[in-house]
Amino acid sequence: MLKLLVPVDGSENSVRLANYLVKWLGRLAEPVELHLLNVQPSLHGDVGLFLSREQMRDYHHDEGIKALQAVRDIFDAAGIVYTFHISVGDPPVLIVRFAHDQQCDQIVMGTRGLGQFASLLLGSVATKVIQLSDIPVMLIK
Amino acid sequence: MSTLTLDPVFWVSLGQIMLVNIVLSGDNAVVIALAARSLPDAQRQKAVVWGSVAAIVMRVVLTIVALEMLKLPYLKLAGSGLLFWIALKLLAPEDEHGEGLDNHNTLLGAIRTILIADLVMSLDNVLAVAAAAKGDNLLLMLGLGISIPLVIFGSTVILRLMDRFPVIITLGAAILGYVAGEMLVTDPVLQTWPLLAPAEWLHTALPLTAAALVVVLGKWVMGRPAAEGAVPEFVDLAREDEQPRRNPRSAKEK
Repeated sequence: MLKLLVPVDGSENSVRLANYLVKWLGRLAEPVELHLLNVQPSLHGDVGLFLSREQMRDYHHDEGIKALQAVRDIFDAAGIVYTFHISVGDPPVLIVRFAHDQQCDQIVMGTRGLGQFASLLLGSVATKVIQLSDIPVMLIK
Repeated sequence: MSTLTLDPVFWVSLGQIMLVNIVLSGDNAVVIALAARSLPDAQRQKAVVWGSVAAIVMRVVLTIVALEMLKLPYLKLAGSGLLFWIALKLLAPEDEHGEGLDNHNTLLGAIRTILIADLVMSLDNVLAVAAAAKGDNLLLMLGLGISIPLVIFGSTVILRLMDRFPVIITLGAAILGYVAGEMLVTDPVLQTWPLLAPAEWLHTALPLTAAALVVVLGKWVMGRPAAEGAVPEFVDLAREDEQPRRNPRSAKEK
């Protein structure tokens, strides 16, 4: 069983990635265990002083569900089985952490397709995942 | 009031105010949106409207107070230090605590939370706008005008923007540092004591140094936890009962 981790940020890129994965998974001989992961950014500043832990959890949970929806629809329509996960924090760190904890075989993720200069300036999740990861990372452009 | 709106200085200041607003308004917006979330629909609208109206009034009053106070000697020095700290905090890594009480199931509870939160969290914003406007009333009004809708309608937009382009935060912090530097050199005390009066070149050099210092210090502080190998625990918020059925072909209902 091939265990794949697919980080999803809810952008158009992740929709493109999902559409591609539907095709690509069809070509694999080995059965696949598919994990979708959305990482929500932490709330900034002193928000935590005024909101309860539950409120923030609910908020992150709902935002995560929204971000995953488009990709889930694609996999559901294609009849592909998956489980999904939502976490909060620094995306690259948590993606790699999850892959490590769950002993995934591979991370498959999209890139925003920024040039070298732009990604230097804006920071790319994919670049950081490659840096941090100790398992193979496949990038879909 | 600046009559020369073609003056580039005016536009630069306006740009500063807008960016500072964007990076400092995000948390206020989130609290307003979240505090009212667990209320029933009709009450939620009310909480957001009343919470926001009160927040606007509070912000206007606070800004006027801040402007008046900044005319006093030494207060610009203090304000400058405070702004510098706010800028650094913007770049520091986040840790979510969630210490607030969950008392938002009532309309009054939600409004109270919005008010207290806005009072505390708009202080940074008010100080930054007052500092960047440098006594220009038109700029001040515009700054306030921009920040209010941002707070009320902008929570998700702001969060997404900052998430997508983290460079905005760095830029905002640098501007805060710059404004802090400007405030420092224009304190009345430094103007009235001849020995302390800053040289002309310091009016440019100090703000720039402060901006650079914020970014360097902020990045250094920000980079530290990763270097120490403090890998955060993975907490999965997705619930077991929400997972798709094992055989999604038979579970096509939605």
